[in-house]
Amino acid sequence: MNKLRIVLGLQLVIFIAWGGYLLSSKGAASPEFYLETRPVDPRDLISGTFVALSYNIGDPQAGNCPALTKNSVFFVKLENRGKTFNSASGPLPVYEATDCAVTPPAGEGNWARAEKGYGFRPSARYGIERFFLNEDNPLKDARSGSVIAKVKLGHNNQLILLDLVKKI
Amino acid sequence: MAYYKKLKADLAGAASAGIITPEQADRVWERAYSGRAFASFKAVHWIAAASGLFIAMGVILIAAHNWDKIGAIAKMGAFLLLFAGAAEASIRFEEKPAAAIPLETLWFFMPVLGIGLYAQIFNLSGDPVKPYLAWAALSAPLALLSKRPLAAYLCSVLLFAALYWGTLGAQSILSLTIHYNQSAQPLWHWALALGVLAAGFALYPGKKLDKPLGAGAVWLFFMLVADTAIKVRSEALVLLAGMSLAVLWLEWDDGDENGKAGTPLTLWVGAVYAMTFFWHYRPDSYNVFGHTDTPAGAVVTWAVFAAAAATLALRKQHVLPEGRLEDYLAKGLLGLSMLCAFLLFDANTGSAKMLAVLANLILAAFGTGCIISGAKNSDEKLINRGVAVITLTAVTRFVDIFGGLLKSGLAFIATGLAFAALAYFINRGRKALIESVKK
Repeated sequence: MNKLRIVLGLQLVIFIAWGGYLLSSKGAASPEFYLETRPVDPRDLISGTFVALSYNIGDPQAGNCPALTKNSVFFVKLENRGKTFNSASGPLPVYEATDCAVTPPAGEGNWARAEKGYGFRPSARYGIERFFLNEDNPLKDARSGSVIAKVKLGHNNQLILLDLVKKI
Repeated sequence: MAYYKKLKADLAGAASAGIITPEQADRVWERAYSGRAFASFKAVHWIAAASGLFIAMGVILIAAHNWDKIGAIAKMGAFLLLFAGAAEASIRFEEKPAAAIPLETLWFFMPVLGIGLYAQIFNLSGDPVKPYLAWAALSAPLALLSKRPLAAYLCSVLLFAALYWGTLGAQSILSLTIHYNQSAQPLWHWALALGVLAAGFALYPGKKLDKPLGAGAVWLFFMLVADTAIKVRSEALVLLAGMSLAVLWLEWDDGDENGKAGTPLTLWVGAVYAMTFFWHYRPDSYNVFGHTDTPAGAVVTWAVFAAAAATLALRKQHVLPEGRLEDYLAKGLLGLSMLCAFLLFDANTGSAKMLAVLANLILAAFGTGCIISGAKNSDEKLINRGVAVITLTAVTRFVDIFGGLLKSGLAFIATGLAFAALAYFINRGRKALIESVKK
């Protein structure tokens, strides 16, 4: 077999496996919940149309978080403490960061994987900082802070961004 | 096409002047014109290409309009089919360059299109450099196995671009600069950056490594002057590193097909020219960042200097054509340009002025060497280079130092007379050489 065909086969297998992983992660049997966003300036003009998002949980201060946000990878506990926002479909509970850990305790709440962020002070990045959409989508003009993010936990406690809901 | 128009005009001129016959002119023209890019493309091919382009653009726009209505699996499936189709077509048409080159280019870009597509479908975000490193890793086998150097060249450029972007930024797995006074970047960032640099070298097609060597030398200099773990801040070390890297690149550059140095020589001349402005150096005016050299930066600088000095001693020079006098002159000037940096250790106004004078002398000696060696070897380009370097240096100094009309005017006349004297002696030398051959 031609070596280049083997290369092509490997490339396709990688994309198929990655696509399968992402699809199964998105379809994982985990609860969906909402996160509050805050305003941010979108700066990247070459990635297509997207809403740049920043989250209140991106600056976790509760529990062990101040000590652990210096780590390159850590886990943040997310839970609802009664805070809600109004949407067109009624009030929605939003989750907040309540603790951080080096490894997530098994079977105890929603622990999201976070990476060290960059800024004037330590912060957390979850890989859900962009919501891509079509140019016809009315959410195109939405700005972080005016929406709440619908998310769930996928494989390896990775947060998956599912949708944006307008605040009223 | 301007080249072919000029060639046609030149051939017609040569034919009308009787240098060649009109038939010869026609045959030369036909041979040259048939070798142009896309020569095998007939009008029907161009029309077919335009038709394909328009249909593809239409399909893309319709798909973009209905993007939200297309499911994730359908999008991924369409991408994988397109990927496989482009790559398979590239393999099948391997022997037909007109088709294989654009198809291989498309194949090379397919991984990054896929990464972008998956990011859009699954709203992925994060490290900005990772996707480009993943793209390079996925395309490296194609670069290594392809018969053409195209993919290897593109992959090498991609790796160097990622290296510069990633290491100079502060928000990626390649970041080497320190951000907002945070602690230094982890050591494994350095390991990854050096791996990317090595891969950029390894994948660069052909045996001539002057371009990756230059890109690597400039990158290392950036790392030394940026806020990294190897930063140097004292003027002496910055200058020593810069000049040593310039000499290192110049000495390892194999030059063009005639062995003549190109870009690295221009860079070295530019660096020496910049040194001439140390005439205006004031010790206190360069303390903006403080003199906080890192030990690692100092070690790297001295290592680069040692490597440049060893190379200078062991390798042939490409600055001037071969010759005993030329070798001594070129190696002496290159060595002196590095040693000038030592005048900046504990520099004062006097030592800086001496550095500027030495830099001017290096340029003058280099220019004169080019003119004399160019006259000996009948190399007009070399003579022109020498004249250009001396003229630039002279004009800069007259404006920079004299300023006044009278002094500058007198200096211009003196330089003109010096050129005239040089031309006279070179002509006498040329005539003596011809006479000696006749005897």
